[in-house]
Amino acid sequence: MKKIIKLTINGESVEAAVEPNRTLLQFLREDLGLTGTKHGCGLGDCGACTVIMEGRAVNSCLILAIQAHGKEIITIEGLAEGGRLHPIQQAFVDKGAIQCGFCTPGMILSAKALLDRNPKPTEMEIRTAISGNLCRCTGYQKIVEAIESASETIGSEEVS
Amino acid sequence: MLLPKFDYHEPRTLEEVLLLLSELGGNAKLLAGGTDLLVRMKLNVDRPSHVISLEKVPGLNEIIPQDRHGVTIGSTTTAANLAESELIIDRFAPLAIASSRLGAPMIRNRATIGGNLVNARPAADLSPACMVLSANLKIKSLNKDREVLVNDFFVGPGQTILDPNELLVSLKIETPPPWTGGSYLKLGARKALEISMVNVACLLTLQSADGPIVDVRIALGAVAPTPVRAFAAEEFLIGQKPSESLFKEAGSIGVGMCSPITDHRGTMEYRCMMIESLTHRALQQAYHRALEWKL
Amino acid sequence: MNEYSVLNSRLPRIDAPLKATGLAKYADDLKFPGMLYATILQSPVAHARILNIDTSRAKKLKGVKAVITSKETGLIKYGVSPARYDETLFAHDKVRYVGDEIAAVAAVDQATALEALSLIKVDYQELPAVFDMFEAMKEGAPQIHDDYPGNLNAEVHQEFGDTEAALAECDLVINHTFLNKRQDAAFLEPHSCVAIYDLDGRLTLHTSTQVPHYVMRTVAMVLQIPVGNVRVVKPYVGGGFGPKCEATPLELSCAFLSRFTGKPVKMTYSREQVFLHSRARHQFFAEMSLGVRKDGTMVALKNKAILDGGAYTSFGIATVYYAGSLLGGPYKLKSMKYDGYRAYTNKPACGAQRGHGGVAHRAAFEQLIDRTAGELGIDPIELRLKNIMTAGDMTVNELDMSSLGMKECIEAVKEHSGWQNKKGKLRRGKGIGMACGFFVSGAGYPIYRSDTYHSTVVIKLSEDGGTAIVQTGSAEIGQGSDTTMAMIAAETLGISIDNVKVVSGDTDLSVDLGAYSSRQTLMTGHATREAAEQIRGILKRYLAQEMGCTEESICFSNGIVKFDGQPGNYDKLRSHYIKEHRGWTDQPSGEYLTFKEVARMTYLKDGTLVGTGKYKPPRLGGSYKGAAVGTSPAYGCSAQVVEVDVDLQTGEITIENMTDAHDCGLAINKTSVEGQMQGSLSMGLGECLFEEVKFDSRGRIVNPSLGEYRIPTALDMPNVKSIIVESHEPNGPYGAKEVGEGAIMPTIPAILNAIYDATGVRMNELPVTSERLFLALKKQEIA
Repeated sequence: MKKIIKLTINGESVEAAVEPNRTLLQFLREDLGLTGTKHGCGLGDCGACTVIMEGRAVNSCLILAIQAHGKEIITIEGLAEGGRLHPIQQAFVDKGAIQCGFCTPGMILSAKALLDRNPKPTEMEIRTAISGNLCRCTGYQKIVEAIESASETIGSEEVS
Repeated sequence: MLLPKFDYHEPRTLEEVLLLLSELGGNAKLLAGGTDLLVRMKLNVDRPSHVISLEKVPGLNEIIPQDRHGVTIGSTTTAANLAESELIIDRFAPLAIASSRLGAPMIRNRATIGGNLVNARPAADLSPACMVLSANLKIKSLNKDREVLVNDFFVGPGQTILDPNELLVSLKIETPPPWTGGSYLKLGARKALEISMVNVACLLTLQSADGPIVDVRIALGAVAPTPVRAFAAEEFLIGQKPSESLFKEAGSIGVGMCSPITDHRGTMEYRCMMIESLTHRALQQAYHRALEWKL
Repeated sequence: MNEYSVLNSRLPRIDAPLKATGLAKYADDLKFPGMLYATILQSPVAHARILNIDTSRAKKLKGVKAVITSKETGLIKYGVSPARYDETLFAHDKVRYVGDEIAAVAAVDQATALEALSLIKVDYQELPAVFDMFEAMKEGAPQIHDDYPGNLNAEVHQEFGDTEAALAECDLVINHTFLNKRQDAAFLEPHSCVAIYDLDGRLTLHTSTQVPHYVMRTVAMVLQIPVGNVRVVKPYVGGGFGPKCEATPLELSCAFLSRFTGKPVKMTYSREQVFLHSRARHQFFAEMSLGVRKDGTMVALKNKAILDGGAYTSFGIATVYYAGSLLGGPYKLKSMKYDGYRAYTNKPACGAQRGHGGVAHRAAFEQLIDRTAGELGIDPIELRLKNIMTAGDMTVNELDMSSLGMKECIEAVKEHSGWQNKKGKLRRGKGIGMACGFFVSGAGYPIYRSDTYHSTVVIKLSEDGGTAIVQTGSAEIGQGSDTTMAMIAAETLGISIDNVKVVSGDTDLSVDLGAYSSRQTLMTGHATREAAEQIRGILKRYLAQEMGCTEESICFSNGIVKFDGQPGNYDKLRSHYIKEHRGWTDQPSGEYLTFKEVARMTYLKDGTLVGTGKYKPPRLGGSYKGAAVGTSPAYGCSAQVVEVDVDLQTGEITIENMTDAHDCGLAINKTSVEGQMQGSLSMGLGECLFEEVKFDSRGRIVNPSLGEYRIPTALDMPNVKSIIVESHEPNGPYGAKEVGEGAIMPTIPAILNAIYDATGVRMNELPVTSERLFLALKKQEIA
C-alpha cells in the first residue's frame, strides 16, 4: 500500500505517495525525473547513486523512499544556483576531473558532504571521503585535485 | 534491482516495536541502516513480509557516557558516529577503528552497530571490537529483558541467540582501566569497500608503563563460523612482560582457536597464517597505545 | 611557445558542465510516452539442450505486452567478424553458458516484466560442460559448437624470419610463462537502451554503445530491415573500455520488442547481467622465449598464446591476432614466431578490452626482458634502450613506426622516478620496476571487409556565421572525443572553441566506425580537419574575390581575418554587413574583419555553408595472413616506472609511486591526455592486483558485483607523475595519435618487475593478491 511522504529536496518541499519497496533512488529518478543521481549497481558497491541526506553522503539505492520522509535531501541538481556552477562543480570542470561523467554526481556530493564538515581536508581525508565512489576512468588523481582546489575556492570566498 | 513487496511499519516507541515483533516474529525484519537487509532483500536472500523500521524510535541511536565508568551505545548508532565520537576514540579505540574501516563513508553513514552484530556475519568489522571490549548487550522483548555478554551472542553465520521477538536495544561497555591500549586490523584486498579476509581486535592492559600485562583480550573475525576470542593466546600473555617475541608467539597460539574456511576471498591456509601475522601486529599496536595512555 | 591558438592547451571539456550538474542524459535517463520495460531470460545452466520453451503463462500475465523467443525473432547469425558469426539473438537448440539468452519480455513496468520471466518454463537437458581452456582443447572434451571441432575457435600461426635457427645462435635464451585471469571492464554505467519503432518503419535506438555504426549494421541485418531505416543515437555513455563495442542482445531485444508492440521499449542490464554479457578481457596463457646476444642485442622471440574465449567469438579473432602482432615492437627483433589458439568454453564470451589482446602478452614479454637483463647483469632500462626502435623503423611483422618517442619516454621516466638512486638500492620489501608498451592508433581496417571511410564529418555554419556545428557519428564515451573535435575544428577554422558546437554519436549525422582501437582522435580528427578546411576554403575564395586579393594572403585566427598579417581594406564588406544588419545590436566594430562577418556574407551569396571531411587509412601492413590486425596509421607508446611496498608479513602490496611517460604525438588537450594516462594506470593496477571474474564448478560467476569484483578505490590508486612526450606523427591530424590504450600496456609488468625487485619473487600469475604473493614468499623462504 502506498504511503504519503513529505520531504525537502534541493530546498523544495515534495509530497508524494510511494510504495514501501520503492528506493529513494527510484523515487528520485523515476518519480521526480531527477536523473542526475545514477544507478550503477543497486547494492551500495559503487556510489553512483550518492545523495546527501541530513548532511551525510548516503547510497540512495539502499534507502527506502519512505525512510526519507521528513528528511532534507540534496541531489546533484541542487548544487548550481542561478545558472552558476557550485565551486566544487566548477573545480571538477576546470581540473579535468570528469571523463565519462557517470560517477561525477555522486563524487561531487561526497566531496560536498566532506567540505561542509571539514573545509580544509588533507589529501588522505579527501581520498577516504570518496573511497565509496568508484571511478573507472580517471584514476582519481584529477578528482582529488579538483576537491583540493574547491576547498581553496570556498575558503577564499568565505573570507571575502 | 527491485525490492520485493512488503508491509512497512514505523513504530514510534520501543513498546510498539516489541509489540510488533511479538505479533509478527519471524515474518518481520528490523530495518536500521538497511545496508545489509536491503541488499539481502534485493538479492532475494531475505523475503520478509513485514519490515519494521527503527528510525523513529527515540533514544536508540545515542552514545551515552555513564559517569566515568563506561558508555551505553544505542543499537542504531551508526558506524560513522562511532568512528567520530571523541569518547569512543579516546577510551574504546578498537571500536572506533573498526567503525572507521567498515565499508566506505556512505555505508558507515547508515550502517549501525546493532545491525552489524545482529547480522552475525563471521567477517563483520564491529563484532571482534565489541568482544575485546566485553560489551554487554541489552536485549528486550515484550515480556522479558535480558543482558548477554557479546561473547555469548553469536551462534553461527547469520545466527545469534536472539529470538524472533527480541530486539537488541543497546550495548554497555565498561571503560578499560588505565594503561590500556586497543587496536583493530583488517586484511582485505582493497583499502576500502572491503569485507575482511581476516580481522583482529586487541585490548591490552599493562600494570604500569613498564609493568607486565595484566589483562589482554584478542578477538578474531572471518576465521570461524562466529567471531572468536583467542583465549589460549590471552592466557599465555597475562602476567608476562611485553616483548616482540612474546607477541609473535602469542600470534602462533592464536591460530589454534580458529577454523577458517576456504572461499573465493582466500584459502584456509592463508587465513591461518594471517591470523598469526595480524595478531602479532595487533598486539604490538595495542601495546604501543597502552604506553601512550593518558588520564 | 605554442604555435596553436586552440590545440595543445588545457581547455576544459565541452561536456563537463552538463556532466557536473547531472543534466547529461545517459540511456537509462531517457523516458518516452507509453514506454515499456523489457527484461531478458537467461540460462541458469552452462550447457544444455533446450527441449521446450513455454511462454504461455508469461503472455497471459496482466501488463505483459510481448514475449519473444527465437520463434519470433528468427535465427539470423551475427557477431563481430562476419567470418565468425556464431551467435543468434536467442538460443534455440542449446544454451552454451550461464547467461545465454533465451527469451525477452516487454511489459508496462519492470516488476511485471521480471515476474513474466519467472513464468516462462524452459525444459533443459543438461550436457557436460567445460570451463577450462586447456581442458576444452583436449580430446573428448564436451563440444560447444558443431562447426568448431575441438572447441578451437581460431588459430593463428605466423613467423617472420627463421626463429628456431635464430634462437639456436643466441648466447642466452630465457623461457617464460604467464597467466592472467578473465577480467571485466567494470564501467560504471550498465548497458541500457531504448528502442523506438516508428509507424513508418524506422527504428531509432538510443543506446549506451561505443560503436553506433556497427550496432546499426548488426541490428539492420538481424531485423532484416534496410540500414537506412535504422538510426542509432548514442546518448552520453558511462564508460566502455571495449565491451560496448558490439551490438548486444539487449539492443536487439528492445528493437524486436518495439517492433512487435509499437511502443518505445527500454531495457537496462543489472550489474550481474553486465558480468554475464561480459565481452571483456580474455584469460591468456602465454609461453615465450626470448633470445639475445651477450651484449644484450635482442634477436628472436617465440610466442605462444592460449585464450579462453567463452561461448562465442565476439571480438576474439582480432584478440588472438593482437596477442602476437603487438609484440613486434618497440624493440628491434630479427625474427618472431607466433602461435595462437582461442578455445571455446561454457562461459560468457570474452571480447575487446583496453589494450585489446596485447596486455597479457606485453606483461609476459616485459617480465622476460627484465629476467634477461638480470641474467646479463645489465640495467633493465639500458637493455631496453639498447634495442629500442625509433621513428621510421619497421617491425619484423611490418608495422610502420611512423613516429615513436619510445626512447624519450624511457628517459623521461628514468629521470622523473629517480631510478638511478633507487634501482638495486632499496631495502627488502621496497621495489622499483619499469616496462614499456605501444598500441595502435586506430585499427587499419574495418571489422567487416570494406573500402568504407572510417570517418566522415560534416561541419555546418550557423546562418549568422557565428557558430560552427560539427556533426559526427563518432562516439564520446568519456574519453573526450567531442572536445577533441571541437578543438580541431576551432583551430582549423581559426575561431574560438566557444563558437564550436559538437553533435555526435548519431548514425544520421555521418559515418564513423566509433570509439574502439583508439581511433577517434586520429581518424575522426582527420575528417574534422578536412571538413573545416573545406569551409575555410569556401570563405577564402569568397574573400579573395570580394577583396581582390589572393587566397594565400588570407589568414583566419582567433575569430578574426588578416590579410598578409594586416587588417586589410575591408570597408566595403563591413559597410555591406552593417547595412544588412540594420537595427541589430551586435554590429562588428573591431580593427579586423571577423570570421562571423565573412561567414555571414558568404552565406548571403552561397546559402548554407557546409564542409565535409573524410578519412580512411592508406593501405597498410604486410600481405601475410592476419597482417591486417595490428596495422595502424600510427602507434602511441608509453614507459612506466612503478614503486611498490610489499608487506612481507601479509603479502599486501601498496603501489607507492607511478611515473608514466606517453608519446601521443601532439597532445590536442593535455589535461585529457593525462586523464587517459592516469585512468589506464588505474585499470592496470586493478587488473594486476585485484581483478578476476571467478566461476563455481557449474560455470556460475561467483563475484558478479562491484563489491566482490574489486576495482581500485581512491585509496588504492596513488598519484601518477604524468609526462607527456610529444613526437610529431606524420599520419595524424596536426601530428596527434592515441593515448587511451597504449598507456595501460606497461602498467602490469612494471608492477610485477617492481615486486620482483622488492622481494626476489617473480610473479607470473595474476592477480597478485596478498595471498598469492605471501605463499610465493613462503616458498622462497623454504627454498
